[in-house]
This record gives sequence, C-alpha cells and structure tokens, in this order.
Amino acid sequence: MTEDGHDALDVLDAFRQEAGLSHGELWLRYFELGGMSTGFDVEAFLYGVLAPSSHDHDVIAQALNERFAELGGNHPVPYATV
Amino acid sequence: MSVTKGTPDFGAVTNFEGDAATIALRGRVESGSAFELGAILDAAIDRKPASMVLDASELEYVGPAGLLAVSNAEKRLAVLGITLKIQSPSTLVNRLVGMMELAEVSRLERALPGHGHLGPEQLGERGDLTQRFASSLSSEDLRRLTALPADPDVIDGALRLIVELARISIAGADGVSVSLLRHGVLSTVAASDQTIMAMDADQYSTGQGPCVDASIKGHWFHAESLDTETRWPAFTPQARGLGIKAILSSPLRAFEKPVGALNIYSRTAESFEVKDQESAAVFAQQASVILSDARAGVSDTQMAIRFQEALRSRELITLAKGIIMGREDVDDESAFKVLLRSAHAEGLPLRERAGAIVLSVERPDLRTKGGPDD
Repeated sequence: MTEDGHDALDVLDAFRQEAGLSHGELWLRYFELGGMSTGFDVEAFLYGVLAPSSHDHDVIAQALNERFAELGGNHPVPYATV
Repeated sequence: MSVTKGTPDFGAVTNFEGDAATIALRGRVESGSAFELGAILDAAIDRKPASMVLDASELEYVGPAGLLAVSNAEKRLAVLGITLKIQSPSTLVNRLVGMMELAEVSRLERALPGHGHLGPEQLGERGDLTQRFASSLSSEDLRRLTALPADPDVIDGALRLIVELARISIAGADGVSVSLLRHGVLSTVAASDQTIMAMDADQYSTGQGPCVDASIKGHWFHAESLDTETRWPAFTPQARGLGIKAILSSPLRAFEKPVGALNIYSRTAESFEVKDQESAAVFAQQASVILSDARAGVSDTQMAIRFQEALRSRELITLAKGIIMGREDVDDESAFKVLLRSAHAEGLPLRERAGAIVLSVERPDLRTKGGPDD
C-alpha cells in the first residue's frame, strides 16, 4: 500500500485479471459497448490512476460482467449508478 | 568494492558505494543458480546496507526458486526498513516476477528495457501522468503501450514458467506441455520432458488427441483413462505405449480465438480431480493473457475480423441508445443506463438487448404484445 492509497482502487484491474482478459481485450470489449476513452485512459481507470466517470465505470463493469457471464459466473463487478 | 561471482550461465556483481548496495545480475537463474543467488543476496544484506538495488538489465530468466530467493531477500530487507528495488527488468523477468505476485512488494523501478532509465523529466507534458502511472504500471505495460513488437522468446520463457508451475502444483501431473498454433501449425513451445514432447508430436502427426482438439476447438478435453478411451483411436495406443494413462488439455486463447492448449499428462488413470481441472484452467488463463498481450497466434486478418465484430456491436448499441434517447427524452449516458437495466432484467448481454430494441423499431410487428406504447 502506497501513501496515496491507490492500491485500494486497483480493484477493477483485479477483476480484469480474474476474468482472464488482457488490457487490449478488455478495451476492445469496452469499445464494443460504446466506450469513448482510449486504451491508455482505460488502463489508468483500471489501476485507479485516473478516476473514471460513473458512466465509464459502468461500461467497464458491464464489459467485465459479460465476460464473467460467458464463463458461467454471475455479475460480480459493482456498478456506479445502475 | 565489488565482488564478482558466477558460472557461464549466471553471474552476479555486488557493488557497495558507501552503504548503498547494487547487485548486477546476468544470465539465467535456474534452480541451481537460485541457491547461489540466495547466498549472494544474504551476504549483501548481512552488511546492513542502507539501500539495495538489483540491476536486472542483463538478466534473461528467473525460475520459481530464484523468485523465492528474491522474495526472501525482500522480507529480510523489510525488517531493516528497506525496500528492494529491481532496476530495468526485461519484459520477461518483469512478467515472471509479476506472475509470482511479487510485483506488489518489489516496488520495481520502472524503466523501459533497452532505453536506459527514463525519468519523468524526459517525458514531456505527459510527464506528470506518466510518473503517477509508473508507480502502478509494470514496464510490461509500458512496453505494450509503446507498441514494441512482442518477442517470441519472451512468450516462450513465460510459457516455460507456467509449465513448471503447473507441474509442481497440480497433483497427479507427471508431465506438462504447452502447444501453440504458429502460422497455422501446432508445435510444442514448452514441455517438462522428452516423453511429453514425443506425446505432443504423436498428436500432431496423427491429427488426433485432446491437445489437438483443445487447440482447434477451443474447449477443454479430458481423457480420464486411456485404457477405455475411444475418441482418438490413432493416437491413444501410442500414448499408452509411453505409459500415459490420463490427459487433461485446456484451451489457450488470444483475443478470444483458440491458439493452443495447456496439456497435463499422468501415468495414473483418473488422477485429475475437479480441483486439478480448476488449477489447470487458471494456468491456461494466465497463459492466455500472456498470449493475448503478445497477440501470439492471431493474424492481422483475425484481428481485423474481431475489430469489425466489435464495430458492429458498437453501432447496434449506439442505434439502440438513439432510440431510447428519442423515446424517453434523455441524454446518451442515461440512455445507456436504461439499456443496461433492461438487459439485466432480461438476463441478456447488452448487444443482444440492443439488437432486440432496434428490431422492434424496424419491424413493429415483432414488438411484444402489451409492451409500452411509444
């Protein structure tokens, strides 16, 4: 844990790893769902370096949750607004 | 003062400037040299340094035993209140360290391999962001962001580690291999021994076997007992001849296309339990992420097809959002929320729900009876 506490925000990236998606794959899925941010920005969101808007958070969460559903799981990633 | 130690494959130079220790590593840390690495690290820590840097720029490979030695050194240094810095690790070394979940504690000193140290002052106006980024991004990520081409040696090295870890950690695994499609041809890129190599080769030459099927069909195949197995008549007798009784092949994917398989072999029938199958799936997933990062086995044409698929979904979702915006007089983001809620209510992926909404407008006769009016 670093002083600025950013590790606590790495949680989205932990979901990505659990879902077995590379950053490139997750970005493509995010783009597929209408996401407007670049791959660079999405990585920054995943690591908690930049805070995503609640909309961006929800698009990423949905991209991850659809992947978990394909793997036979439920929707473990929480949404910001839905 | 510096001390040089080593063999042709592995070397270490310890350098103290005052109480600042730097240990430059070279070559490969296999299980034999891991012991030596541990001793070198211990000797340096015994001198109670005020700081310690492992210069990994010349390091090619670290196996599990070597990573354990580094991890132990980190723990000893932590007691002294010192954080071990790993300088300029290659992509592979960084990947391996990350895989052993040491990245969290290592505080890797980020630098682009082959570019020397890249400090924030050299990064121009993105410096601030990149600097903050650097504290949480691995140099592997930076490499990928700078779009350097993936090195096949890097992939093979990482896959060898997965083979090693799978063999150690899966009970009943007598041998493990990774098969990969390269230019449409299956070959073994990592195997725990020659029997396993031969076993894979028999499958390629007969075009049969769980490894071939998992690599091509993209789902897992489990031959619980080759004594009663009937699916691969040309291959099975050859495997039995080499003393193999059970095989578990899990598919590897890159950009969601099947590109190979992680194969686990046992000399005992029915030796893979459910938990072993789960472990195999986890290792296969790790390997898949590495392969996706490297875009291994995925041609430009396949990437283009995948990208076109993504564009089509995106268009469909945009259309559906447009319809909702018109109907409910809301903005784009609110329309997305409406779409998301209705997809969840129906248990459908967003793309399918969007498709249904678009269809309901294009073909009003297909609209659900009793549904909300416009």
